[in-house]
Amino acid sequence: MGLRFGVDTGGTFTDVCAYDDRTGRVHIHKVSSTPDDPGRAIVQGVTELLGTMDDRRIDDVTYFAHGTTVGTNTLLTNTGVSTGLITTKGFRDLLELGRGRRPDMYDPQTDKPLPLVPRHLRLEVSERLRHDGAVLVPLDEDDTRLKIRELRDAGVKAIAVCFLYSYVDPTHERRVAELIAEEFPQAYVSLSSTVLPEFREYERLSTVVTNAYAGPVVYGYLSRLRRTLRSLGLKADPQVTQSNGGVIPFDMAEEVPVRLVLSGPSTGVVGAAEICSAAGFPDIITFDMGGTSSDISLVQHGEPHVTAGMELDGRPIRSPMLDIHTVGAGGGSIAWIDSGGHLRVGPQSAGASPGPACYGVGDQPSVTDANVVLHLLNPQYLLNGQMKISEQAAIDAVRRVGDPLGLEVHEAALGILRVVTANMARAIRVVSVQRGYDPRDYALVPFGGAGPLHASRLARELGITTIVVPETPGAQSAMGLLMTDVRTDFMRTQIVALDPEGPDAIAQVLAELETQAGEWFTAEGTPADEQTLVRRLEMRYRGQNFELPIDIAGQHGLDAAALSQVVADFHEAHERVYGFHSNDDPIEVVTFRVQAVGRADRLELVTSPFDAENSDASIVAERDVFFSTHLGFRSCPVYDRGRLRPGNRLVGPAIVEQMDTTTILLPGDTCVMDEYRNLVIQIGAQQ
Amino acid sequence: MTEISAQDPILVEVISSALSSIVEEMSETLVKAAFSPNIKERRDCTASLFNAQGDAIAQDEGGSPLHLGSLMGVVRAIRERIPDEDIAEGDVFIGNDPYTGGGSHLPDIVLASPIFVGGELTAWTATLAHHADFGDRGHAHIFQEAIRIPPVHLVRRGVLQDELLELVLLNCQIPAERRADLRAQQAALHTAIDRYRELCERYGRQTMVAVATQLLDYTERRTRAAIEEFPDGRYTFTDKFDCPELDDELELRIAVTVDGDEITFDFAGNPPQVRASVNVVWTGLYAACYYTLKTLIDPDILPNAGLYRPVTITAPKGSILNCEAPAAVNGRSETCQRVVDLIVGALAPAIPTKVTAASNGANTGVHFSGWDPQRSRDFVYLETIGGGCGARYNKDGLDGVQVHMTNTSNLPVESLEAEYPLTVEVYELIDDSGGIGQYRGGMGIRRKVRAEVDDVHFWLDTSRQKSQPWGLFGGGPGTSAHCELSPGAQPIDHGYTVLAAGDSASIETAGAGGYGDPDQRDPQAIADDLQAEKISRQTAEEYRSQARQGSAGTDPIKEGI
Repeated sequence: MGLRFGVDTGGTFTDVCAYDDRTGRVHIHKVSSTPDDPGRAIVQGVTELLGTMDDRRIDDVTYFAHGTTVGTNTLLTNTGVSTGLITTKGFRDLLELGRGRRPDMYDPQTDKPLPLVPRHLRLEVSERLRHDGAVLVPLDEDDTRLKIRELRDAGVKAIAVCFLYSYVDPTHERRVAELIAEEFPQAYVSLSSTVLPEFREYERLSTVVTNAYAGPVVYGYLSRLRRTLRSLGLKADPQVTQSNGGVIPFDMAEEVPVRLVLSGPSTGVVGAAEICSAAGFPDIITFDMGGTSSDISLVQHGEPHVTAGMELDGRPIRSPMLDIHTVGAGGGSIAWIDSGGHLRVGPQSAGASPGPACYGVGDQPSVTDANVVLHLLNPQYLLNGQMKISEQAAIDAVRRVGDPLGLEVHEAALGILRVVTANMARAIRVVSVQRGYDPRDYALVPFGGAGPLHASRLARELGITTIVVPETPGAQSAMGLLMTDVRTDFMRTQIVALDPEGPDAIAQVLAELETQAGEWFTAEGTPADEQTLVRRLEMRYRGQNFELPIDIAGQHGLDAAALSQVVADFHEAHERVYGFHSNDDPIEVVTFRVQAVGRADRLELVTSPFDAENSDASIVAERDVFFSTHLGFRSCPVYDRGRLRPGNRLVGPAIVEQMDTTTILLPGDTCVMDEYRNLVIQIGAQQ
Repeated sequence: MTEISAQDPILVEVISSALSSIVEEMSETLVKAAFSPNIKERRDCTASLFNAQGDAIAQDEGGSPLHLGSLMGVVRAIRERIPDEDIAEGDVFIGNDPYTGGGSHLPDIVLASPIFVGGELTAWTATLAHHADFGDRGHAHIFQEAIRIPPVHLVRRGVLQDELLELVLLNCQIPAERRADLRAQQAALHTAIDRYRELCERYGRQTMVAVATQLLDYTERRTRAAIEEFPDGRYTFTDKFDCPELDDELELRIAVTVDGDEITFDFAGNPPQVRASVNVVWTGLYAACYYTLKTLIDPDILPNAGLYRPVTITAPKGSILNCEAPAAVNGRSETCQRVVDLIVGALAPAIPTKVTAASNGANTGVHFSGWDPQRSRDFVYLETIGGGCGARYNKDGLDGVQVHMTNTSNLPVESLEAEYPLTVEVYELIDDSGGIGQYRGGMGIRRKVRAEVDDVHFWLDTSRQKSQPWGLFGGGPGTSAHCELSPGAQPIDHGYTVLAAGDSASIETAGAGGYGDPDQRDPQAIADDLQAEKISRQTAEEYRSQARQGSAGTDPIKEGI
């Protein structure tokens, strides 16, 4: 009988979740993160959690999955390795030139991102392809060897190779890799044709350089952790989550660490999608609010939306990833008054240090302080009493913005919440309205420390009528690790005109990718009945440069009927996103994607029978809470989430507290705990 | 629907956020649905919302500041020309004319629609896209530059005016692209209309109108508060201006007066308009002034018409900075870049930490057009190449970026070569091009393009070939702009030549000015620049000798190597 572990390393806490399929119970444990060596907290958390489980030992663990921010932090803190670049003659400055735009149109103080490879380590070699793959200038191998030695002598640890049109023909790049293996075998090598075989040279270059720069750090971290876990007695092959929300074994991830940039947040989304689909909410918007920022994503029909890239600190990274949009609005976001007399919130954050004023160190008014002033958060302590807070410090801080605006302190606190809610609503519009989806058709699923605290206001702002708060919103990413699949992406950029009469040209490219996926399944040892292929064509009208992803039904092959469905779906998607479609314009396929999904040994969600509607037994306190200027302070019950039973019904205003999260029901809201122990909130009429 | 009080600054902030979402979404729609590389990859376009009177209330910040100008006048131009009873739901107006349509040059085609809510005209929305067409034209006067379109109905009550569209397309070199791009612009307008109406349903029409007024007042308050901080006084500046079309350099001048919370830009004494493309209509001049003011006072201020209120701009009619019909205007961005430099140069002594040294001073446009035998079609390839950005009081200038009035993306080489019979041989920073100083000026760009077929018409539109971008407070100038043709190619005459297959043009844009005394430069920064080959050994020596003459600094050369 198996024991499954999910371990998510966050900035503040490392969450460990374990599912014991002997008892059907989920165990959760939180320990403080150890940023200098994240592995320490992992070992501590795993050991401590095992200690609380009777006669369970590490060698009972059959599945171990990990979400990490090591790759992201390496990039955000510029702590990767010394990296060299070998590129096509004439183009060594492309990394700095980028797309040519300055980073902020109006602010002369804003800088471009620092290139991850300094100019003297960006070396050019003679070689050039044409756009059709024809060789215009052959690779100068002697010169290339000299350049490799130059990089070796300069002490680089990693080398990125990026040539023009390598996505059409990778021969030159592969030859350089062979030469590096001969001249400088210790180097960590990344080829753009391997990391991202896609057109647009700058985006490909930025991605491969990022991969090389962070690669050795991620590689070192994962291999150390693998050894530590093995010496601890772990027998299972540990897995890590990629930005696409799926897991792969550590050793596979070490090759393409750039695919791990959203490793942490992606599993929270996957878990929410899984939990909510089971609970009857396949269409959701996830809202993961932490101390400094909020991550937002959209899930449709139980599947998280995916995208092909993002920018991290101004540097484009292209890899298959969940479409997660981040906005600088969190509990620590600071409120301030601008020169026109408007109340603004963020993006500056009090962060973990000094933290919100109510923590007793800083004095800037933050979103958390506003919640304390209004008593939406417990005004005496947080984290089940582990952390004392100062209500007076929060009041003093909020007055700093309230007094100049002539607002009484509670009105000012409400103002802070309204403004931060508007900022978050704008971020939700990016993943919904701007992609052609109406947020009112979706349930809002808040998690993270601060999500459930703000969800009801945010839902009102967007016209959303249902909120689903999962059972353990504070450890959602770790829970998600127990619910994710093994998945990897295979892709090819090749422009193929779509001929409705002849699906063969397309079927042929697909077949090659399907073969690669099949080989991967074999290497993974995935049983045949657990293999799924998600096949996707990225299409556009000929002449456009941005594509819309269209899924192909079925697992293999492509017949005329399937193709005409794809065409119909493309027109429909174009109409939805851009408001028009054209039956006259020729269509072309640009990128072919096949995602191989093998079901991992996953957590089965269990249900509990409905209990009585009456939830009074879970009331642990009454608190005066300020919900609106109109209502003023008003007494409302405080529930202990741990005591609530499925079927229990709650009526707002009400507060539900659990260790690391507080859920707010505004006046008019109603809530039922469903059989999966989610809180399902129906939003009341406008307050 | 109950009306909510708009006297609520927090509600104004909330709705402002929603309006910004709308213009962002419009731009995304336009870029992704467009066919021409200049829009789909270079993002040479923008989107706006206006109140019923035509004052801009929200503008997408992704486009170019110069587009602000074209959009500033468009709704007023429509209203002057079209009687109220002829403006109806479902209308789309098209226009590009600088003299009658509120535009600033002819390739920027504006599409605008009224937004009716409950039958009442409540707001306007417009998209502007630079249609890279009209290749190989003359620029003696505007009639040579392209078809002129006054504001007229392209769509009347939902019905496309096919005859008009055919007339316009017949005057374009790449009609299929134009048709698709205009379709993308219309899609963006529909997005705006739907979204704006949803907001009205939510907050009420009256509230939305009141909030728009509040937003303008809010921007005005912030603008005045910031101008108030500038020391009062009259500040003047002059600079030399050149362009390939003109034989002689012109002298441009400005007098800026700061008086309490108001500011005046006076362009008296500037040269008369010229028989070349670099004349500026008033909307372009205003856009340059407003852009510069925003960067100097508060980059975070909302780009709306409230910014204009404390500002007075005067320029003699018929001058190069306030031209009259039929002056040609296609290259007006070169001149507008220098309007920014004039303002910055004038105000530098007053607000030294807000300004930068002179940037590359051009919006270097390279136009390649001709017939592509392999693809059997005409082509027009337009690129604007960035250059050095002026050094700042506390930092070096940015190397190789679009500066001031423009912020378009470059066209990826892998997209360019797949679309046009051209090959990019070099795309790099120019070593030693940034002006020296305590903080170094940004570096210029070299882009070398080879023609793969005969009869490629090449037009270069740039400035600072005859002068250098100046430094500030002891900083040195950046290098000049330059264009080098491969041996044997027909020489450039007044910016124009015809390339044969195999000929190449290597375009070099100017570097930017440095800031502060070179002897104050951190030796480590000099050593880093030397190692990165951003400066030559000779330049490093220059720093060293300056340092020797000045304070006894450390030896950067020895320390760096």
